[in-house]
Amino acid sequence: MTRWKSLVLFVALMMVVAACGGDSTTETTTTEDPGTDETTTTTTDDGGSSDGERVQIRWFIGIGAGGQPEQRAAQEAVRDAFNESQDEIELVLEIVDNDVAYDTLATQIASGNAPDIIGPVGRDGSNSFAGLYLDIEPLINASGVSTDQWAGAAVENQRESDGTLVGLPFASFPSALFYNKDLFDEAGLPYPPAEYGPDGVSVYGEGTEYEGTWDFDKVAEIAQILAVDANGVDGTDPAFDSENTTQWGFIWQWTDRLFQQGSFWGAGYPVADDGTADIPQEWEDEWHWYQDAVWDTGFAPSQTEIDGALGGNAFQSGNVAMAGTHLWYTCCIRDDENGIVGDFWDIGAMPSNNGTVTTNMHADTFRILATTEHPQEAFDTMYYLLTDAALELLTAYGAAPADPNLTDAFLASLDERYPQGVNWDVILDSAAYADSPSHETALPGWDAYKLTLDDLQSSLLSDPNLDLDAAIATAESNLTTIFQENAE
Amino acid sequence: MTATLEREDTKPQAPPVTAAHRKRKGGWLVTGFTGLILFVFLLPLGYMLVTSVKSEQMINRVGGPILPNSPASFEFEGKQLDIYTVPMPDGSELELGLLQPGRQVSTFVDPSNPEAGAIEWEGNWRLLSPADELDPQWQNYTRAWDLMDFPILLRNTLAIAGIGTIGAVVSSILVAYGLARFRVPFGRSIMVILVATIVLPRFVTLVPTYAVFARIGWVGTWLPLIVPHFFANAFNVFLLRQYFLTIPKELDEAATIDGAGPMRTLVSVILPQMKAALVAVSLFHFYFAWNDFFEPMIYLTTRPDLQPISVGLRAFNTLYDSQPNLIQSGSMLALIIPVVVFLFAQRVFLQGIDLSGVQK
Amino acid sequence: MAVTTEEGVTGKPVTPFTPDYKPPTSSLARRRGRAGLWFVMPWIVGFFLWYAIPMIASLWFSFTDFNLVNNQPTQFIGLDNWQKLFSDPMVRQSTLVTLKFGLIALPVAIIFPMALAYLLVNKSLRARETFRALFFMPSIIPFVAAVLIFGGIMNGQIGWVNRMLAVIGITGPNWFQDQTWVYPSLVFIGLWGVGNAMIIFIASMNSVPSSLYDAARIDGASEWRMFRHVTLPVISPIIFYNLIIALIGIFNYFLVPFVLNNGSGDPGGATLFYALYFFRVGFRLFDMGYAATLAWALFVVAVGITGLLFWSAKYWVHYEFER
Repeated sequence: MTRWKSLVLFVALMMVVAACGGDSTTETTTTEDPGTDETTTTTTDDGGSSDGERVQIRWFIGIGAGGQPEQRAAQEAVRDAFNESQDEIELVLEIVDNDVAYDTLATQIASGNAPDIIGPVGRDGSNSFAGLYLDIEPLINASGVSTDQWAGAAVENQRESDGTLVGLPFASFPSALFYNKDLFDEAGLPYPPAEYGPDGVSVYGEGTEYEGTWDFDKVAEIAQILAVDANGVDGTDPAFDSENTTQWGFIWQWTDRLFQQGSFWGAGYPVADDGTADIPQEWEDEWHWYQDAVWDTGFAPSQTEIDGALGGNAFQSGNVAMAGTHLWYTCCIRDDENGIVGDFWDIGAMPSNNGTVTTNMHADTFRILATTEHPQEAFDTMYYLLTDAALELLTAYGAAPADPNLTDAFLASLDERYPQGVNWDVILDSAAYADSPSHETALPGWDAYKLTLDDLQSSLLSDPNLDLDAAIATAESNLTTIFQENAE
Repeated sequence: MTATLEREDTKPQAPPVTAAHRKRKGGWLVTGFTGLILFVFLLPLGYMLVTSVKSEQMINRVGGPILPNSPASFEFEGKQLDIYTVPMPDGSELELGLLQPGRQVSTFVDPSNPEAGAIEWEGNWRLLSPADELDPQWQNYTRAWDLMDFPILLRNTLAIAGIGTIGAVVSSILVAYGLARFRVPFGRSIMVILVATIVLPRFVTLVPTYAVFARIGWVGTWLPLIVPHFFANAFNVFLLRQYFLTIPKELDEAATIDGAGPMRTLVSVILPQMKAALVAVSLFHFYFAWNDFFEPMIYLTTRPDLQPISVGLRAFNTLYDSQPNLIQSGSMLALIIPVVVFLFAQRVFLQGIDLSGVQK
Repeated sequence: MAVTTEEGVTGKPVTPFTPDYKPPTSSLARRRGRAGLWFVMPWIVGFFLWYAIPMIASLWFSFTDFNLVNNQPTQFIGLDNWQKLFSDPMVRQSTLVTLKFGLIALPVAIIFPMALAYLLVNKSLRARETFRALFFMPSIIPFVAAVLIFGGIMNGQIGWVNRMLAVIGITGPNWFQDQTWVYPSLVFIGLWGVGNAMIIFIASMNSVPSSLYDAARIDGASEWRMFRHVTLPVISPIIFYNLIIALIGIFNYFLVPFVLNNGSGDPGGATLFYALYFFRVGFRLFDMGYAATLAWALFVVAVGITGLLFWSAKYWVHYEFER
């Protein structure tokens, strides 16, 4: 009886300990490894403890890019080169699938087993764990390394609202308009503009019957022509059957969360000075425009269509003529497994709205968690990744370097992957029109904020009769509650 | 509640001629109707079978064929051209490869005569029917097998279900034995609480249980899924207890007179009498554990190499949702084992459920 | 109907009103009463470990701001979580969603297996055993697979259901993307799980004493009247049992909407069931204190409704046919 009693007491004690919170960093994780074979999805690289003197730095990959096979190879090569180049630090990789990365990291943090470095991660991903990062400014000053190779604004971009510097510039993924040349040819339309005009505003179809300012109204106009139903009737024809569309004109490819697509019409910050929610007018305008595109004119696909005929990767399927997206999308237009070579596309300038062009920027970099036991070594490792290893990693991630010295080499690697001759210049030029404030600026209750907007987006894409203004008003009041609850 | 085995065959027969005639005619009607319902009921399985061998392009094609076809194609100047059935102005129909689609005019190439060059054709190419040929993609199964890492999932499921079942059955036997054969203090209250735990929504206990497991590092292992089952569970206890009560107590007493302790009595005397019930309980629990999803998911999200089939299939779906043909073949892989086992063992299985209602 | 709880279903209706066990009366057994406690010990320990203590801890958490991920120490915040519960629009919404679904799902969960069972006990049915096995089979298919299959066949654009409807001229709705039609769609998925309930209904229908049917037939009762006045009352304990099981299933309803939409509650929150919202709060936002509050609120409601059901049982559940 006493054995049982003590077991019960022990567990009760654990409950109390858990309830009283506190960071039990001293507890070790006991993981049961039943089998010898590990699948390719999680690799925990042990690297041996033969060099007993080396400090182990764990690099957690998966919150952003890094999970694709060729990226794994590049990361492993970087790890090996780094470990060979010095003997104080041993870099260890932990690569996790993107869809479980958030949970995995959260669990590790919860059990006191947090990694040292995470990344590459964009601001969106890192906002979820805001407040847990190490301020690296003291370390920069202490080690005397240079940060001149990066533009001052880019460095400042990595500063949190509380003044701490939590990262240094590494990769940038500007955005532009990807378009399907074959579909434009079939419709007999001129291609979207290949470069930005003064102030970013460009002209579409100069010298043709479609000539006009390249803005979102123009996009809607030609997207309608490019939307075709199963009978070959296009969107400008009153007989167009939007229930049976086989080809669409436009989509926001994998950057269609409401705060992302809205920001393409004008940068903004949804938290007002008094802490309540105030969604920028441009965002609301864009949402209305997109709602019309899906349900009225029908040149954009609804959720059912995205799940069905477009199979989840719309632009790659070849059934969408234009896609607003970022440079990282180059990862996924090519699908060698299924024999999709992806040579049907090119890049054009992003349309303007009311005379302004806004091209959302995703800036990925690495972060060090404040719980690290070896801040100096972690910083040294991270600095290596940012400088010596940068080109190799950036090529694998398909990311434009934040360091302008690396741009040419980067472009060469992209041409290797897509040899049909893509207009890379226009998307690099897009960086000049990056959204400021960033659509990914941290705000109170970031995760709850995203979930609220996701619900609204889901209604937009699935309910033909949605009263968007009413839904926006509801969302705003919910967001006000969230912002105020989470404000520190 | 009494339930015995089927008795309709022993019901008194109505007068022969008219009833038998009615029965024969009515028989086909009822059977036909039931068959129709069964057909609709199982139709999704047909969908799964057919879709699992389709190629990706064919699934996404709106209005595409039901059967796993692929468009016939031929190679022309390094490009693969899809072949369509094109009605020519002279009334005939030719099978031509589409070279350059256009809104009003498209150009084709004749696969039997490519040197003739491009043929211009006026009309709406989207209204043409592609020349399809049956082309089941059996390799979808091997691909799904590899991508899901099915052997690992299978191993995990067997381990979790197997160990859990052993623990659950052994502990439930002990508890049921105690409740059935002994005058346990607070016995009645225990029974009531047992019932209550069945009704309890599992979420109430989830948060602290998960928090503790997280703090002691059991999240990401099989332990949270296996250990709780070693403490008996209400369903099994109930079932076994019912069956224990059907075994005459004289057997117990005889054993005790022979000098056997309670444990000995249980193992050597009573259990051998209960084989059918034991099989039934083990089967039930095994199937439950095999199909369990929620707890394995929250404890094993971070370890794909330890996940059972249900969780692995879902993860596979999130990763490959752009390829429904793979998803369907993955689903097929997931269900084939339970179904096959069931079809072979259906007698045992269904009798077990019948049995569970038996009470003397 | 996904009537099975996590444990699957066994035959005995579980009510406290059924005759409990009778204590053995021989003195031998009475002396061994204490020994029996040892045998029951695993369950007792398990009860405290996995039920009693977590429930108390959960109640305690609901009074704190326990968050599993951030580093701040947990603080006692009193009734804040509970206040939030009553003002949270998501709670209202998810309760409504669960209710809307339950209103359709609960009757179907009883009627469909009962109707199937009635068909399968019909005297003039051929190949009865085959039908029984085949109707039961889908219930052992892993539910995750079932959801994926139904999701495919019911896709609004390329799924078979809408294509078949189009053949007869009906434009099928966007089953899983339409905020009204998504509930019947979920019920359709659940239909594959009726196997257990159906078998139990079959067993109980077979046990109705034929003498009752004979008496009714002599009185000139039609098929329907016999069903209503003979079959139904006799099997009412089984109906009651399946009702409880179905109710539990609805309170816990999580797997299908989660696999379907990855927990997002699409379309537009129409599938954000209460359990899904709980999951989101506890395992996406890691706000464990509030999650515990949600769970306890569910528990209270579940106990209330179950209690009501048990109380109502005396009005319509007939046990006199039990032996």
